Amino acid sequence: MKDMIKTSTADARQRRKGSGDLLGPNSEIGRKLRQYYDDLVSEDVPDRFAQLLAQLEQAKPASKKD
Amino acid sequence: MAVSQGFKTDLLGSIPSLRAFALSLAQNADKADDLVQETLVKAWDKHASFQPGTNLKAWLFTILRNEFYSQMRKRGREVQDSDGIMTAKLAVHPAQHGQLDLEDFRGALEQLPEDQREAIILIGASGFSYEEAAEICGCAVGTIKSRVSRARAKLQEILQITGEDEYGPDAISTQVMGKPAA
Repeated sequence: MKDMIKTSTADARQRRKGSGDLLGPNSEIGRKLRQYYDDLVSEDVPDRFAQLLAQLEQAKPASKKD
Repeated sequence: MAVSQGFKTDLLGSIPSLRAFALSLAQNADKADDLVQETLVKAWDKHASFQPGTNLKAWLFTILRNEFYSQMRKRGREVQDSDGIMTAKLAVHPAQHGQLDLEDFRGALEQLPEDQREAIILIGASGFSYEEAAEICGCAVGTIKSRVSRARAKLQEILQITGEDEYGPDAISTQVMGKPAA
């Protein structure tokens, strides 16, 4: 949960450099776009991804590959 | 080189963004989560090719995007319109006093071609610069700019948003086109 919030604010901070005027705070499209996307970012992450990473970690434990 | 704990933590932290991007591309929750899963597996396998200190999120988005397009090619570019998107299209109505329903916006976004949709998401929502988005999509910066601008114009047209700038429909065409039939 903490991670999600962190990611969300990082996205918000980072995107200021990207969106420019075209999709800035004065743009209805820009605002809706961020609302749409932030809704998606703040969704709960299913457990399967943490499980997957744990499996990957077990399959490749401290491998010596290069 | 072993996969470091830090890399794993960073991957975990990227999942919400990856899912949002995957959903924006695939427009389907199951497909989106499959894309994220593939992306994590590939990222894990290729971790040695990631340069620490560079933008992990951009690197992961590139993997996810490549995966999306390669899956689309495998499926012979199936029509995206299979999950109620038509219904969403029908629901779009003119924005009133700048209040725009999020469902309508989603429906409008779904009508964009993939290349325009991904461009406007990367720039307007995911927080990438034009240069980063160009790298993720493997195209020129100018191409991203033109896709974003076409995407925005198209969204304004679908949602009948006026008065934002000179690119919007003019007042007369809005009067003609903008009124509901009944």
